[in-house]
Amino acid sequence: MASSLIELRNISKSFEDTLVLDDFNLTVNENEFITLLGPSGCGKTTTLRIVGGFETPDSGQVFFEGKDITNVPPNKRHLNTVFQKYALFPHMSIEQNIAFGLKISGKTDQYIKDKVKYALKLVNLDGFEKRKIDSLSGGQQQRIAMARAIVNEPKLLLLDEPLGALDLKLRQDMQYELIRLKNELGITFLYVTHDQEEPLTMSDKVVVMNGGRIQQMGTPEEIYNEPENAFVADFIGDSNIIDGMMMEDRVVKICDTIFPCIDEGFGKRKPVDVVVRPEDIIIGKPGNGRIDGEIVHNVFIGVHYEMEIEAGGFTWLAQNTESFPVGTKVSIDVEPENIQIMHKPQTKEEEAIELDV
Amino acid sequence: MKKFGKALYLVLIILFLYLPIGTLMVLSFNQSKSMSVWSGFSLKWYKEMFNNPMIMEAVWNTFTIALIAAAAATVIGTVACIGIAAMKKNGRNTVMALTNIPMLNADIVTGISLMMTFLVFGISLSRGTVLLSHITFCLPYVILSVMPKVQQTTTLTYEAALDLGASPVYAFWKVVIPEIRPGIVSGFLLSFTMSVDDFVITHFTRGAGINTISTLIYSQVKVGIRPTLFALSTLIFVTVLVLLVASNLSGGEKPSRGKKILSAAASVMVIVILGGVLFASGITTKTSGDEVYVYSFGDYIDPELVNEFEEETGIKVIMDTFDTNEEMYPVIKNESVNYDVICASDYMITKLADEGLLAEINRENIPNYNNLLDEYMKAADASFDKGNRYSVPHTIGDLGILYNTNTVKPGEITSWNDLWKKQYSQRIVMPDSVRDTMAIALKAKGYSLNSTNEAEVTEAADYLIAQKPLVYKYANDSARDLILGGSVDIAVVWSGEVLYTQEENPDLAFVIPKEGTEQFTDAWAVPAAARNKKNGELWINFMLDKKVAEKNFNYLTYSIPNQAVLDYVADDENAMSILFPEASILEKCEALENLGTEGDDLYSVQWKRFKS
Repeated sequence: MASSLIELRNISKSFEDTLVLDDFNLTVNENEFITLLGPSGCGKTTTLRIVGGFETPDSGQVFFEGKDITNVPPNKRHLNTVFQKYALFPHMSIEQNIAFGLKISGKTDQYIKDKVKYALKLVNLDGFEKRKIDSLSGGQQQRIAMARAIVNEPKLLLLDEPLGALDLKLRQDMQYELIRLKNELGITFLYVTHDQEEPLTMSDKVVVMNGGRIQQMGTPEEIYNEPENAFVADFIGDSNIIDGMMMEDRVVKICDTIFPCIDEGFGKRKPVDVVVRPEDIIIGKPGNGRIDGEIVHNVFIGVHYEMEIEAGGFTWLAQNTESFPVGTKVSIDVEPENIQIMHKPQTKEEEAIELDV
Repeated sequence: MKKFGKALYLVLIILFLYLPIGTLMVLSFNQSKSMSVWSGFSLKWYKEMFNNPMIMEAVWNTFTIALIAAAAATVIGTVACIGIAAMKKNGRNTVMALTNIPMLNADIVTGISLMMTFLVFGISLSRGTVLLSHITFCLPYVILSVMPKVQQTTTLTYEAALDLGASPVYAFWKVVIPEIRPGIVSGFLLSFTMSVDDFVITHFTRGAGINTISTLIYSQVKVGIRPTLFALSTLIFVTVLVLLVASNLSGGEKPSRGKKILSAAASVMVIVILGGVLFASGITTKTSGDEVYVYSFGDYIDPELVNEFEEETGIKVIMDTFDTNEEMYPVIKNESVNYDVICASDYMITKLADEGLLAEINRENIPNYNNLLDEYMKAADASFDKGNRYSVPHTIGDLGILYNTNTVKPGEITSWNDLWKKQYSQRIVMPDSVRDTMAIALKAKGYSLNSTNEAEVTEAADYLIAQKPLVYKYANDSARDLILGGSVDIAVVWSGEVLYTQEENPDLAFVIPKEGTEQFTDAWAVPAAARNKKNGELWINFMLDKKVAEKNFNYLTYSIPNQAVLDYVADDENAMSILFPEASILEKCEALENLGTEGDDLYSVQWKRFKS
């Protein structure tokens, strides 16, 4: 099992009167690709800046390889950051940008030269040494920012929404680049984003944050398939979140209809939230499913059709490769294992989070 | 057609922008002192400029003060910007507003308030106070130009540098400074030009003998600006032009090697010019540490004489200049600076002496006193300085009539009343100043030019009104140029201007009317508050030296009541008649006297009636 590289213990941080991080705990293991995911203002960037040393927590500690680095300045930490807007030095050439960290650590000229060449090759920009920063496209600048960080061979690379400024196609390409780089270099990546798709593609572990707290932590599959609350379910991909009643173990009532499920331990006749992913809704002929309904909306979005089905007093979002025209009478059904049962938010705070979403 | 319109528009704009500078540059090469007559190409004004220690020192002061002030303001301003950028938003906005307000302040307010502050805190005005003031008023401009750059970029890249292992100091020099450099450079250049440009603030905060180019030029207004200052302005313009071209060439995206060399060459040129100025200004004149503070009208002695005095006596001259008597008066009255010797006009000598602000002159210390012409000393005794106790005449001038002998027969004009003859209609220039203009009419009518008799003054004003249709123009300084340019044939001018005007047009003749005229005397005096009375008297003695007086006369062409000057022009009938009027006329000459409040009111009412 990989050992812990970074550990955040009981971190709290406020800006003026706003509590941004509330008793936050997180452990990042070596050689892991971990993503902090959440809407803006959730505290993810603050977490990253505390790890980078640009912010000091009001309380709590940061450990790096078991040593307390809470008060160590950023330039003394063995990690590097790829900034949101790249923060390249505009008055230096690309070569000088990449060599900046190496020069400070006193490497020989030959070493620096080789390393710069290697880094440029790694990010597919061979021969760009003498170019000016402002002659590069956004994607190229992003790669230079990567190169500038990784030449220093940090143990941990912090990435603050590095793909945010790129267009869709480039973003997708860069995601694969990042995975490749991480595998080639064997560096731990701590990645921050508000884009729900990026972490699913790249991460080993996803941390969903909201309101300065961790909402759920797990592999991309766990997060997607078994969201622990409505916030996570809604934030990751599209979902139908429906009020339901847990009748007994493995039986839930949604829209006055009994559905078998696989969840246990919620008690009897307890109100719950039920999550059903749109692609898990089975559309059949009227009478063949559990609830009958009617297609009220249909739009083609690429691989499949996205439809809205009015059934049992709820508008269900469904995805299917087969198209049903608007007005078609249909029935819907869901496999028991595709029904995700979640507790209703208990505290007012959790309620507020839900409303916020 | 449209194309032609465009081209014409462009040409007009360029003409408006550059014609004035072009004119000035051309005139700086003019052989003669005139602004209207081109009498051949000459570099003599440039030569004179480099030989004039006052100009050279003013240039040196201007550029050293500008350089130091701009550098200091840039450093302080840049540091301030970094501090301000790190503040919270509210505080930042407040501080920015506070630093912007002084820029909106009128210069005159800034200047006076700085002067008051210095005086309140007992800091005597000097070069240092000018420097401090310049740093103060440059600071907001630096902040204004650096701040946007700091806000734009630095926190991000600064953090990136720290992240890559740079210490805060290293990150500051290698990342922050290079990034905000364009702002710093423009802040520096802005400060530098503001400082070089400034007149008002410098005027109020400078100490004795500290002149910048602008204060020097203003102080020369009384005697008319000499073309040396055209030469100086031309040199400054060319220097700035070269700098500008160089900085534009080097400021491009990718400075090529050639451009770098060009800009380096430009910098070298500036250094050479500054160095040359320093060398020429003879900053390192050896003196015994003894000093004499001189306060005089601008450009009122041959500047070479300052060096000669220093060499002869070993006393360093701190020369300060003013434009009008009224500007000088409060300085002496308030003892803002303790001058050892001053130059003032007749009526001002009376005023200063009456108020006990002058020290009696000890003739034993002035052996050259005997060189003075007796009749002028008697005239002074009779009018502005009873017993010749407080003053020693420096220059004398008479108002007279200059006319063109090609159109007016020589000897045809002998009286002020000739200016009322219809035959000269629209060919006359009259002065445009209450006392001078009224003096002509009063003298023409046979009254005293200091008359406060209401009937006499009213009659004089009526007489002037009757003359109006005959007069081409009422003008002061441009009278000489109007007659040289041929617009008129008759002009009322001061005797001191005649000799060099005749050099340009020998057909001009000058007459001091037989009724007598207005005569001014500018004289040296020693203030009661002088620190070094003896050195002041030594200066006066030097001015009365025969050779010195002759040299001054050749420089100024104003009459100097010194035996040497009289001897020098004795054989020249023309010069004699201009400079030393016959005793019979001299008897009828008068100096202007203070009229008192009632007298001033009387003149002002009549003058308004005449002007309307």
